[in-house]
Parts: sequence; C-alpha cells; structure tokens
Amino acid sequence: MKNVGLVSGQNSGVGPAFPAIEMTSGMKILRPWQRLCDLNGATLDYVLLLPAFLLLALIVVYPIGRLFYNSFLDLRLSSSVDAAQFVGLQNYADVFHDGEFWMALRNTVLVVVITVPGALVVGLGLALLANQVRRARALLRLSLLLPWALPLSFTGLIFAWFFHSEYGVVNDVLQRLGGIEPRMWLTQAWSASAAIWLTIIWKTSSFMALILLAGLQMIPRSLYEAAEVDGASAWQQFRHITLPMLTPSILVALIFRTITALQTFDIPYTMTHGGPGQATETLAMLIHKTTIDYLDVGYGSTLAVMMFVLSLLLSMVYIRFVGRGGGQ
Amino acid sequence: MLKCWLAGIALAASFTASAAEEIQLHVFSGGANQRPDLIRKIFDDYEHKHPGVKIQLETGGATSELQRQYLSTVLSAKDSTLDLLALDIVNPAQFSAAGWLEPLDAYLGAGKEKRLKEYLPAYARSNVIGGKLVALPFVADAMFLYYRKDLLEKYKQPVPKTWDELASVSRKIQEGEKGNLQGLSFQGAAIEGAVCTFLLPYWSQGKELQDANGKLSLDKPAAVRGLKSWLSLVDQGVAKKNTAEVTTGDTVNEFKAGKVLFGINWGFAWDRFQQDKDSAVRDKVGVAVLPALAGGKSASCIGGWQWGVSAFSKHKAESVRLAEYLSTPEVAKYLAVEGSLLPVYPQVYTDPDVVKAVPWFASAGPVVQSARSRPVSPRYSEVSDKIRTVTHAALAGATSPEQAVDDIESGLVRVLR
Amino acid sequence: MMPRFAPRLLLRLAAASVMLNGLFPVIWIALTSLKTETELTRQPITWWPHLLTWENYHRVATEQPLLTFVTNSLVVAILSTALSLVVASFAAYALARLEIRGRRLILGVIVCSSMFPLVTLLVPLFETMRALGLLNTYTALVLPYTVLNLPVCTLVLVSFFESIPRNLENAAMIDGASRLGALWHVVLPLSAPGVFTAGILAFVNAWDEFLLALSLNAAQSMRTLPVGITLYQGEYTFPWPVISAVLMIAIVPVILLVVAFQDRIVAGLTAGGVKG
Repeated sequence: MKNVGLVSGQNSGVGPAFPAIEMTSGMKILRPWQRLCDLNGATLDYVLLLPAFLLLALIVVYPIGRLFYNSFLDLRLSSSVDAAQFVGLQNYADVFHDGEFWMALRNTVLVVVITVPGALVVGLGLALLANQVRRARALLRLSLLLPWALPLSFTGLIFAWFFHSEYGVVNDVLQRLGGIEPRMWLTQAWSASAAIWLTIIWKTSSFMALILLAGLQMIPRSLYEAAEVDGASAWQQFRHITLPMLTPSILVALIFRTITALQTFDIPYTMTHGGPGQATETLAMLIHKTTIDYLDVGYGSTLAVMMFVLSLLLSMVYIRFVGRGGGQ
Repeated sequence: MLKCWLAGIALAASFTASAAEEIQLHVFSGGANQRPDLIRKIFDDYEHKHPGVKIQLETGGATSELQRQYLSTVLSAKDSTLDLLALDIVNPAQFSAAGWLEPLDAYLGAGKEKRLKEYLPAYARSNVIGGKLVALPFVADAMFLYYRKDLLEKYKQPVPKTWDELASVSRKIQEGEKGNLQGLSFQGAAIEGAVCTFLLPYWSQGKELQDANGKLSLDKPAAVRGLKSWLSLVDQGVAKKNTAEVTTGDTVNEFKAGKVLFGINWGFAWDRFQQDKDSAVRDKVGVAVLPALAGGKSASCIGGWQWGVSAFSKHKAESVRLAEYLSTPEVAKYLAVEGSLLPVYPQVYTDPDVVKAVPWFASAGPVVQSARSRPVSPRYSEVSDKIRTVTHAALAGATSPEQAVDDIESGLVRVLR
Repeated sequence: MMPRFAPRLLLRLAAASVMLNGLFPVIWIALTSLKTETELTRQPITWWPHLLTWENYHRVATEQPLLTFVTNSLVVAILSTALSLVVASFAAYALARLEIRGRRLILGVIVCSSMFPLVTLLVPLFETMRALGLLNTYTALVLPYTVLNLPVCTLVLVSFFESIPRNLENAAMIDGASRLGALWHVVLPLSAPGVFTAGILAFVNAWDEFLLALSLNAAQSMRTLPVGITLYQGEYTFPWPVISAVLMIAIVPVILLVVAFQDRIVAGLTAGGVKG
C-alpha cells in the first residue's frame, strides 16, 4: 500500500494488528482512468474535498493574500503618509535588525521548546491515567477537561492572580507550608517566564490529553492480551504497543500544539503584558502591538509572515523526523 | 390571516418610508464608566428637539483597549457604519493621522476659536492636531490625590504639598495606626496609569517631555529624580513593596477597604469610595492637588473622552452638530449632576447646582486645572508602551532608574521628533 | 485497554492530584464568586468566603443580557462545530483514502491556514464579511470558526480514519452500501473517539474565541459570551467576584457537554471493540 500520509510510520508498526490492510492493496488493481469515471472512486474524493476548499477560499484566501501583499508595503496608518508605498523586501530586511523581534523570537522559541514537550509529557500522563482509572471516571475526565474549558484570556488573568505577591494563592500556600517569604513572581524576568510556562502547560496539557486519550481508545485490546500471553512487561507493552500505536495521535497533537505555541498571546499578555521590560513578550504580542497599537500594518504583516515561515518549517521537521522515527 | 399579513406589510412599508426621511446616526461609546445610560437620555432629548434625526448608541468594550481594538478594525476597513466616536484622550492624534477623523474646523467656522478658549486648556491642546481641530471634548478626568480626612484630622496633619511632606505625614500616621496602613498607593503595573506615574514627579519639577514642536525634550536628571522619589517612598515603607504590581483597581479596592492613607487615582474612584456598599471610608475622603517635588509645581495627568466624527461617515454635518451639542456646558452640567462625570468647562465646577449635587467637584476643579496632557503624538501608543514598561521595570527593581531613563530616551527619541 | 502497570495506591494518588490540578482554579473561582470585592484585599487572603453573598450572581443576571450572550455563543459554537465536523470528515475521508501524490500537499495547505496570527487577518476578514453582508449575523462567526477549526479537525480525523481497516468498508460496500454510506455506517462509528475529540476541540475553540467576535458581531444583541464577560469589567477595575460568577456560568455548558460526550466516548469505545 502506498503510504504518503503524515502518519506514514504507523502501518509498519502495527501492521500485524490489521492483517486486512494487506487486502486493501488489492484496490490498486483499479486503473486511475477507471476510477475517474467511477463516482464512488477518486472523483468522489475530490468532491469530498470541495467544501473544505470552498470555505478556505471564501474566508482565508483573501486575508492571507492581503497579508503577504501588505508585507511588501510601507503601510504605517498613523504616519500621515497618504498612500502605501511599495518597499519591496525592506520590511524583511528591517526584521533582521530589529532587536525587539529577536527578543520576542527568543521568548517565543522558549515557550515552544519548554511548553510543547512539557504539555506532551503531562498530557500523556493524564491520558494514560484517565484511560486506566475506573472509579470516578466522569470526575476525572471533567477535571482533565476543565483547564481546556476555561476561556483562554481568563486563564491568564486567574493565574496572574494566583501568582500575585499579596493576593495570590501561591505565596499563601508557600507561606502556610514553609513560612517562605512572599515573592513577586511576575515582576522578575525569570520567575515571570516560568510562571507563564507553567500556566501554558496547565492549560494545554488537557488539549494534548484529549487527543491522546482518543488515540488510546483506538488501540485494540487484543494486542495487550496477546502481549500478556507472551509475558511482556508493562513497560514493554507501553514501549512496543502503546507508543507506536499512539504515534499518529502524538504527531497530530504535537503539530497543533507547536503551531499554537508559536502564536502564544493571551496568557503572557494577561499575566505580564510582556514585562518586566520585554522579558516575556512573544512574537504574537509584538505583532498585535505593531498592528493594533502602532497601526504599522506593513511591518506587522511582515512579522506575521515570518511567524508563518517558522510554523511551516517546524511542522515539516515534525512530519519528517517524528513521523518517520515514531513508527520504527 | 391574510388581512393580518397585509397589515404587517403596510406597517413595514410605512416604517421604511419614514425611515427614509430621517437620518440614523450611529454613535460609538464606551462601557459602564462612560455612563451609556445617561448618554442615551441626552440622545432622547436631542431626538426630540431635532425631528428627523434618530440616534443609535453602540457601546463598545469596557476598557479603552478593547474599544481601540474594535475601532481600529472598523476604521481600517474604512467602514461607514459608525458616525460619531467617543475617543480616549490619547487617541485623537493617532486616529487623525491615520485619516480616520474628519477635521471639524470647516464645520465650526468662526465659532471654533471662541469654543476652544472655553475648555480647560489641556483639552484644547490634546484635540488640536497639526492646527486642525479633530475632536470635541466631552468628559474630563485627571489623577487626584485622595486622602483620609479622618486620619489627617486625628493626627492633626496637613494635606501635604510636597512628596517629602507626604512621606513624613504618612510615616507619622502609619506609626500611630500600627497595623498595616499603607501611606501611599499608586500604580506601578505596566498599564496606561504607569505613564502618569512616570510623568507626575517629572512634571512636578516644572519639566516638559515635549517642546513646542512635539520633539522630545527629556531632562534626564529630572526623570531619574522622579523615579527615585517613587523608589524612596517604597524604601521608607510609605508605599508597598509590591508597587510594581499595583493596578488602578488595586488602589481603589485597598483605599476603599480603609487600608490606605493617600491614594493616587482617576476621578471615578470618588464614587467607589462614597457609594459602594462595601466601602469602609464613606465620608472620610478628601481630594487635593498632587504634591510637587520640593521647589516645583503641582501637576496632574489628564484623561477623559472626546467626540470625533468618522471620516467615513455618510452624515458628517449632522454628526458634527450632535458632537457640538454633546460638548456644551449644559450637557457637561447634566452629566456632572446626574453621573458625577467631570466637566471639561472650568466654570461648571463652581456652578451652584453642581456643587450642591457633587460637593467634591469644588476641590476637583483646581486639580483638573493643573492637569497636563500626556505626550500628544500620532505615535502615542509607542510612547506609552515605552514609558509604561520601563517605569514598571524600574519600580520592580528589574532596571536601575538611570538605565530606565536611558531606555526611555533611546526609545522616544525616534518617535517624538 | 492498557494493562495496569502501576500499583493501585499510586494510581489513586495520581488521579487525586489530577483532579486537584484541574478543579482547583474552578473551585477557586466558585468561592470567589461568593465573596465581596473588599474581601479580596484582606491579608492574609481568605479561602472560604468570610461574608457569603449571592449579590454577584444577581449583578451578573441584571447588569448585562447574559442569557443573550450565552444563547449566541451556544448557537455559534454548535453550528460551527457541526459544520466543522461535516466538512472535516469529508475532507479527512478523502485524504485518508486518496492515493495520489498531492495528498500531503493538500493536507499541508489546510493546515497552513492556521499558521497566521488572527489579529493580522482581522481587517480583511471584516471586509469579507461586510462584502457578503454578514456582519452581525451568526454566519459571520460560524464560517470563520469552521475554517479555524478545519485544520485540527481534519488532521485528527485523518489519523483516525487511516487506522480503520479498509476491508471493513469494502465489506459494507459489497453489502451494497455506497462509499458515503460506508463512511457514515462504518468509518465514523469506528472512529467515534476521534470524531468526538474533534467535536470537543471545535466546540471549545468556538466557545472561547474573542477577537473575531468582538469585531464582526459588535451589536449588543449579537455579542457572544467571551466578549460579554468583558462588559462586566470597568474601565479601570476588574471586579473578580462578579467576573467569577460569569465564568462559572460560562463553564457550565462545557461541563454539560463533557458529561454528555462522556457517554458517547464510552459508546464509541465499545463500538471500537469490534476491531479488537
């Protein structure tokens, strides 16, 4: 069978579980031209893709096109220059000399590098647990999902409050437990960053867990039963059955978590406004500030394109390496 | 059944017919702090006096930030839905440079100069951009020094005139009260209020941030002195250690709970102290002009709201007329009496009816007179962003005052030129 | 199902800490919603309301048309979730079964649409909706939310559909079902956990969205809950007790959804047992 998917690794890992997959290669007997005439075949595939692409065309093609176009303009709405000037790659050149961009990029990369694996590990733990516990299952699922259900911007506000030096529950607990002096978590660069990372992991691990949990439930029980018969240990079962079977889900969760982590905005925005100084300002915050506050649409668009390129590169890395490695 | 249906059509037809003759004005205003309920009443009155004009009031997000987010989207798209916009005092310069505001000079004609002279001077200055009048002042605001009348009386202390005096009065009373009474609460969080926190002690040394052409004229030693005066209040225990976390709302709540001797805040705080059910300081509050640094002159920071006419409006003349009405002393008086909103006309503060309804306006008047505008620039948001983040970082101890002032200078020199 | 590889006690401990972790902020909000605003300035902070009050819920109900906000949010979230699931499962099915070179590219294009910060697309999106005459309608939000959810839903569903053995579909088709019929009767039920996961993700995303809702549906009667909540704050103040009360109300539909989907997920699980 031809395997071009994101999740190409999976069949080699789990092939034996689905002997039927071998059978499907029988479908290849149909020649392409035969299938074209067969509404049940390839034509249908394209028809099924149509709604998605119509929607994309209607809603995002124009805005994204405009974004790219604007990135080549000097479009500072409040600069009293009447018309937008075409400046070619000037904005892109400016990006490389913009200290604020590099600082925001550094902060964003830190968010990605720390919170994505963090949320994956925590989320995997949560999912395994939720899949295993029998009693109070509803309550467990609920507590697993509530972080995800709490509106994003309010999550930041709530955690900012938790970390507040006087009114925060964090200092209160520390003081009650160990008499530790109250700290101002959010006004010092490193503790503010750490508080933000923690909040992001708290908020997003349930997204991870949700996807992974669904993946876990797709693993046929018979695989574990067979392994049990063969005397495989729990770790071996996890390593050789759970993990490979879960790879597609992990990959999906990772890709999305990475894309959204690159766009991290609400939590640092509500917790620190990017401060102290610029210590916790992310790329998305810089873009927001440039576009909405400074009304520098041209440069804001350029920064957005840079973010897109970064997302694209990272996603490709995932598909190439994680997608391949996981299945073996 | 059919009859009923026909009647419906007839009704709808008559409705559209009458709608065609009259003009619908869409007015955008802010959230609860701007009292949309009172504005609606003013509109009802206006509609009554001007048949043919119907006014629809749209209230935006509760904060200036949310309103700005919405307005910048709608106006970037050159949308004609909104006719008249309530603008935060810091926005007219930028909005006008973006070409979003219709200059009002031509509509006002000869009456313009006379009108401008009547407003509090800071408002006339903030709304004239590049020689053009772009918005008409509606409601004033300023930073006030709130103090606990009862405590000052109890310890026979005067209302302080300088920051040093404030510190010594505070320490005396703090000592006497034991407990954890704060001497002074002011805003150090990275919010718009922190811009005023930076400017107040700077201005009170008689220094300016901009010269007559709007160019940066930062007196660095004075700015460092200003920041240091805040830090010394923290060191002396007059202000809280976590001042860098304090927001406008924190000052209000802590003062309201009776935990603060002096509080610096906007005008809305007065009603919170006097009217909130859970207020512990009702009738124990006084208002004064802000202290100055020794040898300087007291200065406050203005806020407030203006009416700007959208450049994309299809009913500009009618919108200007409405804005003119909303910016009259009569309306200012109505809002003062009914909603204790601060007037933009100096004489309204001493109007007998106003003084009777809101006695504290008598002491608010001098404060508003002393208020200055934050830098007027099309790039104000960059100015604000720089000043507030740096001030916050300095108060948090993340940067030294000297470094902070260097940062402000290097950030603003490109913007204010 | 996973075999048990952790001792029972450890497992319980872990479960308890997960519950504490997930529930604590919500419990905190619930307690705050019963406090007065000045209580929040007390030192040291109070956990249990010192002065229990229902006043905040009263204010929530009377100060703003909360019911309208909730209804609008529900309508928009449900419609866009349904539309996302339909469109995404069509696309995902085609992609999971398509055997052409462009497959990866097509999937890539769909996913790419989520790689731009929304704030930079705002103005053109506003222009699009205005051109379509859709401002201040449910559609103005349903369509963009569907598009925003399309990438995650499609990707989740593709990964699930791919794990369904084709012979099951083939068997159904031999029994006379069309391919769409096979999708509906065989593939979707078998990937129920994936479908419901995608559904929950789509629902919560739509339920939470703020930026578009603020600008595209600005009329008071069309506002959604996330925008509505901000109307309870003042220009300079953030009344936590009142906001907490609104948040409690905002969370309820999501809790109900999870409880409802809980059964479906379990149902999907037993259906999935067929393969095992």
